[in-house]
Amino acid sequence: MDTLPLLIVGDPQAASCEGDFCEIPQHHEQAVVNRAIDSDRV
Amino acid sequence: MSDAIKVDIWSDVQCPWCYIGKRKFEAGAAEFGGEVEVEYHSFELAPDTPVDFDGSPADYLAQRKGLPMDQVEQMLERVTGIAASVGLDYDYEHVHQTNTVISHELIHFAKSKGRQLEMKERLLEAYFIKGEHVGRIPDLVAIAAELGFDEAEVTEALECHRFLKDVKEDVALAREYGIQGVPFFVIDGKYGVSGAQEAQTFANVLAQVHAEKGAA
Repeated sequence: MDTLPLLIVGDPQAASCEGDFCEIPQHHEQAVVNRAIDSDRV
Repeated sequence: MSDAIKVDIWSDVQCPWCYIGKRKFEAGAAEFGGEVEVEYHSFELAPDTPVDFDGSPADYLAQRKGLPMDQVEQMLERVTGIAASVGLDYDYEHVHQTNTVISHELIHFAKSKGRQLEMKERLLEAYFIKGEHVGRIPDLVAIAAELGFDEAEVTEALECHRFLKDVKEDVALAREYGIQGVPFFVIDGKYGVSGAQEAQTFANVLAQVHAEKGAA
């Protein structure tokens, strides 16, 4: 399989795991907070 | 010749974003609607983890990263919430933190039988949802047998590490691409997509590749 240089696309802040640690990007945290607020309203 | 778009995905069995990213990719591929050929590749996030780590994922993170336990628990709770948003019911209370190299060998075994995707999904489900151990050979053989694979053949393949070379080749290939984190998607050998992106992102890249292939 050739490994030509890749064109990187998409959100550079998307959540991923590096090493033994998996970061939660800020916008994901905000999305969860928003969902929690929404469910509180219901 | 097939018009399918090839998607190579690097992923680890104990990577929470890989399972979430898998669901988002599947949604994106469905939205794209064209033919897609997926091949999974092994990536070991923590190859030095003992098979029988004594503790939970929260203990593991707290020990490895020196993070306060309440902060770790909050992190896992948030990941669990995000997983739920894509229909995955993560159960961190029962996850067995382990070394995943043999589970990768099993995925390669299944690939040799043309059933890689089925095994990949089953092992992610085993680890995150069903609380099954994915580091020990007897547990992995039981999972393979449940899927209808021959127990003796799987046991022999895992005990003699017949597919370890394939796992290491995948890891080396990731290094050649410069992949540092997972999930990582290589689409048509040209575009790299890192992380659990939104479904629309995958749909857009697949449509872009499809258009380029049509124009070629």
